[in-house]
Amino acid sequence: MDNLASLWHGFAVAATPINLLMALVGSFVGTVVGALPGLGPINGVAILLPIAFALKLPATSALILLAAVYLGCEYGGRISAILINIPGDAGALMTTLDGYPMAKRGEAGVALSISAWSSFVASVIGTTGMVLFAPALAHWALAFGPAEYFALMVFAIACLAGMVGDSPVKTLLACVIGLALATVGIDANSGVYRFTFGDVHLSDGIQFVVVVIGLFSVSEILLMLEQTHTGGQVLKASGRKWFNLQEAMYTWWGTIRSSVIGFVIGVLPGAGASIASAVTYMIEKNLTDTEGTFGKGDIRGVAAPEAANNSAANGAFIPMLTLGVPGSGTTAVMMGALTLYNITPGPMLFKEQPDLVWGLIASMFIGNVMLLVMNIPMVGLFARMLTVPNWFLVPAIAAISFVGVYAIHATTFDLVLMTGLGVFGYFLRKLDFPMAPLILGFVLGDMMEQNLRRALAISNGDVHILYGSGITIGLWIAAVVMLVVPLLLRWRRNNKLIPMP
Amino acid sequence: MVDRLFAGIWLLLTLGFAAMARTYEAQYSYEPIGPRAFPLLLAGISAVCALWLLLRPKRVAETLAPLPDGGPARAAALIGALFAYAFLFEFVGFPLATVLVTIAIGRLFGGGWRHVALAGVALGVVLFLLFDTTLDVTLPLGALWRT
Repeated sequence: MDNLASLWHGFAVAATPINLLMALVGSFVGTVVGALPGLGPINGVAILLPIAFALKLPATSALILLAAVYLGCEYGGRISAILINIPGDAGALMTTLDGYPMAKRGEAGVALSISAWSSFVASVIGTTGMVLFAPALAHWALAFGPAEYFALMVFAIACLAGMVGDSPVKTLLACVIGLALATVGIDANSGVYRFTFGDVHLSDGIQFVVVVIGLFSVSEILLMLEQTHTGGQVLKASGRKWFNLQEAMYTWWGTIRSSVIGFVIGVLPGAGASIASAVTYMIEKNLTDTEGTFGKGDIRGVAAPEAANNSAANGAFIPMLTLGVPGSGTTAVMMGALTLYNITPGPMLFKEQPDLVWGLIASMFIGNVMLLVMNIPMVGLFARMLTVPNWFLVPAIAAISFVGVYAIHATTFDLVLMTGLGVFGYFLRKLDFPMAPLILGFVLGDMMEQNLRRALAISNGDVHILYGSGITIGLWIAAVVMLVVPLLLRWRRNNKLIPMP
Repeated sequence: MVDRLFAGIWLLLTLGFAAMARTYEAQYSYEPIGPRAFPLLLAGISAVCALWLLLRPKRVAETLAPLPDGGPARAAALIGALFAYAFLFEFVGFPLATVLVTIAIGRLFGGGWRHVALAGVALGVVLFLLFDTTLDVTLPLGALWRT
């Protein structure tokens, strides 16, 4: 087994003191960020990314830190879901349905510990899935040419447009805005200055960090102003702290099922943790809920969605690492982090940067154990963080975000541009535009244009090359299916809700 | 309604974007499509999306979710505070700018005067010591104070 040898090597990378420290810090910060309502993995990763870069962390350590934050968020989201009935991040929405009723019954400790356990089991399954499938996918993708890449990126965008947000048109437009932002700056092929308005600060293009912090920190801060709850009523995690063997057996198969389904959904571009947890909750409800206890504090309804959101987060790494095409907003930000280090994710990554890839995967196993240890005995500490008032939290987020952006180029221009983009993002979000497609478009913009131009250069301008191979045709068909099927489902649902007269 | 207003503005911006993109031409070209094809493609998709949002018949009445009391004024104040922070960051330096912005934002989020002032000083000093002194991320002390 080649993969096992590589994984073993990865453990050697992940077990260096600095990388262990990063996994620990990331797990802790991730759990906190995940637990805080309003802040999710994408915000946590976005805010920490420029800091990691400014600290001159090596690429592997930075990625380990960000991945630990991502996984930590999927753990942390359940804490506020169970204790204050508000999901800490989008993936924990389903956990409120049974978690909060359990907590009200005085079983908060059991709900918290069983969900940490199912998160752990799911993450182990998800990371194992990465070990098994990622190298094979990368190997297959080596055969991709520019035309295949272009079609693949269109497919990723189509998935997002079909599944994220209520209006596919708005999702598509958000994506186009991201792609358009990426065209700013000198065109690499011809040396033409595009959309720079004669400003030297823009000739290199808009900095990735400026866009990410603007969209996911500044606009988030503006949205937090509208949250009505402050501090909130935190239920005491009293009573039994640990689940017992009977409860573990009772939830076991549901956890395994949800982990596998969540992983598969996570690998698909566009569908992330929130869709995975919703789907598995419905499946478990239909399969096992014979007495109608789901929604009234059924322990299986806590374990299943928490398993799914963790394995989905693991699965989401696969397209990013193997194809260089991220499938979610959070992995898009991580891919942007890699490009800051001049590392291009894609099929060559497994060959050229084995330390990075396998170190990352190994660190996810290690981080997962850290997260389990943090999230059962120390859960009270995180619960107390939910009482930190917004009048302290928000300025702290603002200050750290500004430090991160300033650290990149040390210019006032970047700070002002970031604030402007944040305000723009805030208005877009008020109009129900999703942000994940925008950042995906921004990350993919350059690659998409380059691959399109390269493909057409190979064919001397003949567009047939874009749908000239089996792989491209398959991807185009898949893209159309991903766009049309959710539309049809939505149309059918709407027609059911509004009966024709 | 807000949607259509936005779509109208967006359509105009798209036209401006397309007009700019049309002027981009490579001096020497060794590839069939130059620097303007991709932006023009984007402008096309963007225009179609904007037209769709502008013209489609609404089945459901869509309005913005109502803001809590004084919402727009508070949002405007917060936007102002963030822009002020961006402009003051280098000019008066990180510690002082952070104290000021913490007081402004903290008040908007309902903190008491004494609390937010304390929080401001704490954040300004602690973050400066943490990043600049300990972690070697250089932060400005203020161009204003340098003679």
